[in-house]
Amino acid sequence: MAIHEKTLIDPDRILQHDHLVVDGVDVSGSWNTMITPRTLTDYEEHFEEIIQSYSGGENVHRCWQCGSCTNSCTMYAQNVDFNPRYWIYLIRLGLKAELMKDKDIIWQCVSCNKCTNICPKDVRPEGVMKATAHWLEDNGLTPKTLSTHFDEEFTHQCIEFGRIEDTEVMVGFFKRSGQPLVQAWIVEFGKRLTKRLPLGQLAKMGMNVVFRPKTKSWGKTGEVLAEYVKAQKEAAHHG
Amino acid sequence: MSAQDTVLVVGAGPAGLSAAATIASMGKKAVIVEKEDVLGGAPIISGYAKLVPSGEWAKDAIGRMVSRVEGDGNVSIHKSTKVTQVAGEAGNFTATLSNGDKLDAGAIVLGTGFTHFDSINKPEWGFGTYEDVLTTTQMEQMVGTGQIRCPSDGRVPERVAILLCVGSRDRQIGREWCSKICCTVSTNLAMEIKEISPSTDVFIYYMDIRTFGLYEDKFYWKSQEEYKTKFVKARIAEVTKSPDGRLLVKGEDTLVKRPIVIPMDLVVHAIGMDPNALNPEIAKTFGIGLEKHGFIDRAEQYTNSQGTTRKGIYVCGSATGPETIDDSIAQGQAAGSRAVADLYGQQKVAS
Ligand SMILES: Cc1cc2nc3c(=O)[nH]c(=O)nc-3n(C[C@H](O)[C@H](O)[C@H](O)COP(=O)(O)OP(=O)(O)OC[C@H]3O[C@@H](n4cnc5c(N)ncnc54)[C@H](O)[C@@H]3O)c2cc1C
Ligand code: SF4
Ligand code: SF4
Ligand code: SF4
Repeated sequence: MAIHEKTLIDPDRILQHDHLVVDGVDVSGSWNTMITPRTLTDYEEHFEEIIQSYSGGENVHRCWQCGSCTNSCTMYAQNVDFNPRYWIYLIRLGLKAELMKDKDIIWQCVSCNKCTNICPKDVRPEGVMKATAHWLEDNGLTPKTLSTHFDEEFTHQCIEFGRIEDTEVMVGFFKRSGQPLVQAWIVEFGKRLTKRLPLGQLAKMGMNVVFRPKTKSWGKTGEVLAEYVKAQKEAAHHG
Repeated sequence: MSAQDTVLVVGAGPAGLSAAATIASMGKKAVIVEKEDVLGGAPIISGYAKLVPSGEWAKDAIGRMVSRVEGDGNVSIHKSTKVTQVAGEAGNFTATLSNGDKLDAGAIVLGTGFTHFDSINKPEWGFGTYEDVLTTTQMEQMVGTGQIRCPSDGRVPERVAILLCVGSRDRQIGREWCSKICCTVSTNLAMEIKEISPSTDVFIYYMDIRTFGLYEDKFYWKSQEEYKTKFVKARIAEVTKSPDGRLLVKGEDTLVKRPIVIPMDLVVHAIGMDPNALNPEIAKTFGIGLEKHGFIDRAEQYTNSQGTTRKGIYVCGSATGPETIDDSIAQGQAAGSRAVADLYGQQKVAS
């Protein structure tokens, strides 16, 4: 049967070969259009456990699908596709492909915790949102968020130098998140600094950027710290 | 009256009344101690309408249970009285009453019941804020008057919303049990409302429908198929008021995956059954234990089903957890028989 209204079907469910000849008959293009079935054919049983291994996701198994979280949700009020109750259902059953359809909005949770306050089963939906966003990030399924970029730069400097240098953190953060290094507000900020700060202080700041002092006898400490952080992360996800 | 002839029955709801009648029918004396000045327990004190599943008016059905013990020479009754102290042991207790009397009894049966959940503890659902938000007990009383009206202005409601599980199944307020009867009571109320007021539509907001056993077709299906009750799978988040004075129920319709803000004229809370608020006091007076939710704890589950944690003291009905009237009555009979058996000394009391 011809498909009259393709717009009603998810684009990724439409299969069509531009050039196809079957038994000598040319059925290229629309003539061979097929739609993949919508039937769910299996569950990924361990998906729930994976989300539970992330901080915040521990109680996801408690959900009974009452919808209180979604209803109280700040983001749901902006966009009805932002539906923690529904995502929790998908996580519990391991319907990962369905969850992937919303992967680009899950991170939008603003951590207001209205859901956590209303949930009758103490699921902590806000934590589940965070855990899911982290899982998506870890698996390269979503671009890293700005705050993750910032955290990474900050941690990197701590481990490398035993201290942070504000300007370096900002520069590193901008680089990691693909933002231009020169931004209007920074230019303005710089101008005002030079106007008000005493010369000595300015010179000191400049030196710090150029010479990047390390904390005294930091040496191996950074390596040990990096090892520890790595071990902790692994323990959290496989413990 | 000697201790060996007498069983003390505390509480005169369906459970206690049933225990007392059983004891008397076996030729022993039952002494009822009831803290209120009426007998019959929650169905009478709170003025329930027609009962599940018999369809009989509570005042008739439970009234019969009351007159049965009132007319029995083996039963004596102390109203507006409590037990303040229990001395002695199984086979030979001495109870002190709040009126100063002392009473010897060979065994004790507790039928001290439950306390209705107080909806004030869920302020987001509007009880105490809006006049047209009621509890199922208030709605039962309204059905009893034969008229369905909005308390605020007396109009006939176009729509009634019944919210299930109010004060049950909720970790936020430390109530992790299902109150068992409120689903069926709510479907029953929906039918009673429709019968009295055919122009009123009833909506039930649910997470699960637990009309167990034979209640399924008699209540759930019947209210849906014959009385056109609408069932919506949503836990209401908030009840507010719209500018035109009607109530608004807000939530997520989980099956449609859409937010709902629906105007209603009356909102009814299907309130749950809490442990009797006096249970800490009762536990102390009678020297018995409570289980983790605060209901009265039982002894060995299979060989001493109505036993409490203290030898010679038995318990029946909703004192042990949410129960129906029918089960409370059956437990009353069981506890009464077991207590009489103790009097005869024919059966060893399981500890
Ligand atoms: C809105 C609503 C509607 C219901 N409708 C139905 C229905 O239609 N059908 C059904 O099967 N069930 C129904 N139930 C459940 C029903 O109320 C209980 O099953 C029943 O009341 C239990 O009986 P009981 O004797 O165990 O306790 P109760 O009815 O609570 O009686 C306990 C008695 O003990 C007394 N007492 C308490 N403490 C003391 C003390 N320390 N000293 C002396 N006396 C004391 C109380 O005053 C009371 O008289 C309904 C419940 C609710 C909330
Ligand atoms: S914490 Fe996130 S999921 Fe929860 S209500 Fe706020 S925005 Fe919604
Ligand atoms: S409020 Fe809690 S129990 Fe209800 S759907 Fe949300 S997470 Fe699940
Ligand atoms: S009987 Fe129904 S309304 Fe009552 S607590 Fe259980 S599920 Fe909720």
